[in-house]
Amino acid sequence: MRFALPAVMFLLFILEGTAFQIFAPDYRGSELQFIPRFMFLLILMTGIFRGRSHGLFYAVIFGILYDIVYSPVLGVYTFGIGLLTYLFSMSTSYIKRRLGLVLLLVLMAVIGFEYYVYGMMSLLGITSLAHEAIFTTRLLPSFIMNGLVAALMVYPVRSWFYSVDGLDDR
Amino acid sequence: MLLVCLIFLVGLIGYSLSDQRNLSWPEQFVQDSVGTVQSIFSRPAYLLSNSIDAVNDLRNVYQENQVLKSHLDEYASLQVELGELQRRNQELEDMTDMEEDLLDYSVRNAMVIHRSPDRWNELIGINQGAQHGIEEDMAVMTSEGLIGKIREVSQFSSSVQLLSDQDAGNRISAMVDADETVYGFMEGIDDESGHLRFTKVDIDIEIEEGQIVSTSGLGGVFPDGLVIGEIVNVETDEFGLSQTALVEPSANFYHLDYVMIIERSASAMEDFDAVEENEEDAALEELLENEQDSEEEGE
Repeated sequence: MRFALPAVMFLLFILEGTAFQIFAPDYRGSELQFIPRFMFLLILMTGIFRGRSHGLFYAVIFGILYDIVYSPVLGVYTFGIGLLTYLFSMSTSYIKRRLGLVLLLVLMAVIGFEYYVYGMMSLLGITSLAHEAIFTTRLLPSFIMNGLVAALMVYPVRSWFYSVDGLDDR
Repeated sequence: MLLVCLIFLVGLIGYSLSDQRNLSWPEQFVQDSVGTVQSIFSRPAYLLSNSIDAVNDLRNVYQENQVLKSHLDEYASLQVELGELQRRNQELEDMTDMEEDLLDYSVRNAMVIHRSPDRWNELIGINQGAQHGIEEDMAVMTSEGLIGKIREVSQFSSSVQLLSDQDAGNRISAMVDADETVYGFMEGIDDESGHLRFTKVDIDIEIEEGQIVSTSGLGGVFPDGLVIGEIVNVETDEFGLSQTALVEPSANFYHLDYVMIIERSASAMEDFDAVEENEEDAALEELLENEQDSEEEGE
């Protein structure tokens, strides 16, 4: 069971690039683009519920994986996932008890991450799209979808961590 | 700590942006092992998505059938014409002793195993790599037209840069075959309309809507004559020195499941080798059979 968490992360990592892309709405005539960040959500929750060092560990490993497989430029995702996991892994019992707060943190991290990637891609000359052009069609739908997925994930993930770590639910 | 990370980041980015870089072995290892898992996940997903599409298609079957029937008549006459043209081409080739045609190419099939989830890059992964004979910059197409070129190759998988990728290095030599041949480059997509851009066309040459853009075969391992798309709009570029045409791609960039990798002019030679080997094998077998026969006779 020790490898259940990285296994689930790897599963999300694979699904983002394969199954999600095959059924992606924008490849089926939809105007809206959805960018899945499910693996990042789980890494963030690991950071919040288990502590910053756990979060950073997975952030760097899966960041490297993401960079090699899905991205043409090495380093962008490793650094971004690592930095945002570091910043948003506020692992206090006050936050852990309030799922709303956890959700808010995760959502802020996803928004920050999306803008970080957009900034890096503009900086490296990979995209020249203006912010207005992508805000309503790409960023906003992605925030909403990832927010919804995070809302669905956060309770099961917390109970899972608590049952594995042997902590009380309160 | 953060400073060290930043320096590391800049170094890595600089390393990966350098041109003419081959994948290092850790990258190849990760890509191949992840690629294997990805193919396991892709196959059932394609099955599911295809069966959904099949149900949708059922609704239009009757109308499509009518249209196809009308096309069938044209097909017969085209077939005759094709035969005639092939015969004449053969004669002309014989006359000029042409040994190798730029149009000769060999085709490999591959399954798309992943597509980059962030829409910033238009990259796909396929389940064929160096071990299957894939090399960098080979042309990749679907049955409808060109979609891109091989970007990185590892042993058992490789990644394809689609024509729609906005990377500055994404450039393919292309041409319009009208009264005279017009050369230019395919360079990414137009942000507003989403069409491909056919750039660096000489300002004096007139190109029109509806003309077909195809690969020119001038650069590297690209064969010529692979259809890219149809011109929908022509405009003068910002400095007034050249023209840019917007091209509606003939291939569908959204539904990619199986693609073809095109290699120029290797097919003829491979076929030749294969025939030779087969002949040798046949001769060997004959020899063995004869020996057996004689042994049997001896008994």
